[in-house]
Amino acid sequence: MPVFRWRDSWEPFRDLERQVDRLLEGLPFPFPVLRFERQFPPVNLYELDDEFLLTAELPGTSSENLELTVSGGVLTLKGKRPAPAGIADEQFRRHERVWGSWERSINIPDQVQEERVSAEFTDGILKIHLPKAPDTKPRKIQVVQGNNP
Amino acid sequence: MSAEHNGLSIPVNQSLPAQPGPANESPGPERVLFTPPIDIYETGDGLVLVADLPGVSVQSLDLQVQNNKLTLLGRVPSTIPPGAKLLHKEYEEGDFLRSFILSENVDHERVTARLNNGVLEVVLPHAAKTQPRRIQVDSD
Repeated sequence: MPVFRWRDSWEPFRDLERQVDRLLEGLPFPFPVLRFERQFPPVNLYELDDEFLLTAELPGTSSENLELTVSGGVLTLKGKRPAPAGIADEQFRRHERVWGSWERSINIPDQVQEERVSAEFTDGILKIHLPKAPDTKPRKIQVVQGNNP
Repeated sequence: MSAEHNGLSIPVNQSLPAQPGPANESPGPERVLFTPPIDIYETGDGLVLVADLPGVSVQSLDLQVQNNKLTLLGRVPSTIPPGAKLLHKEYEEGDFLRSFILSENVDHERVTARLNNGVLEVVLPHAAKTQPRRIQVDSD
């Protein structure tokens, strides 16, 4: 019976996804948790010489309705977009915008100096600066000759 | 329910306005043009149109009423420092364009707009009902 054939035809696709995943795992990507995720809010991530820059579109949110915390290598963004006050459902003639509360956590690389993370919110765009720690010099480890048994 | 009968209709096809506003002075590289999500709700005095325009400021927004057509064009200037390397992308940066047909019922002269935190709110008051005017009849 060909009833469930669609499952079979998608199988190669899943294989491909797995292969792409394996390929990406081989790349030095500093924010592994972001891979293939679709969460709110969508974020973009940039790397500069001295920092990572995370941006998110959050129109209609005010800085009072945003809460950012960073702890133990995890950056957590929490926010609320209030519904327009005092407008009944039946007054809406068109409703395409969304509102409500949301939360998103993002793993940040070890090299980020958590105590120096800063954020700004302008015209509905959130920018989070994640400064990199200065390059740590490789430390040479002395190898001591052990006693032969 | 069609918005058309109550004051606003939303054309499907979008095109850049023939006379771009001052925000269009530096065209730069090709940009993506988005149709912003909107809400329209009725109040006792008219309609309120709300549009999400993240990244648009008062200076980069061009709002025009011409021939019963309300056009909003919001430019989003890039704030990413030059030389930044994009590591991960979940949204596209681009400008916003959308236009609406206003009915005769809207008082064009009293349209007002506010932009806060990337949200535009346009108030479209109903035109005042024309009052019956009594005509004095004189006799010679």
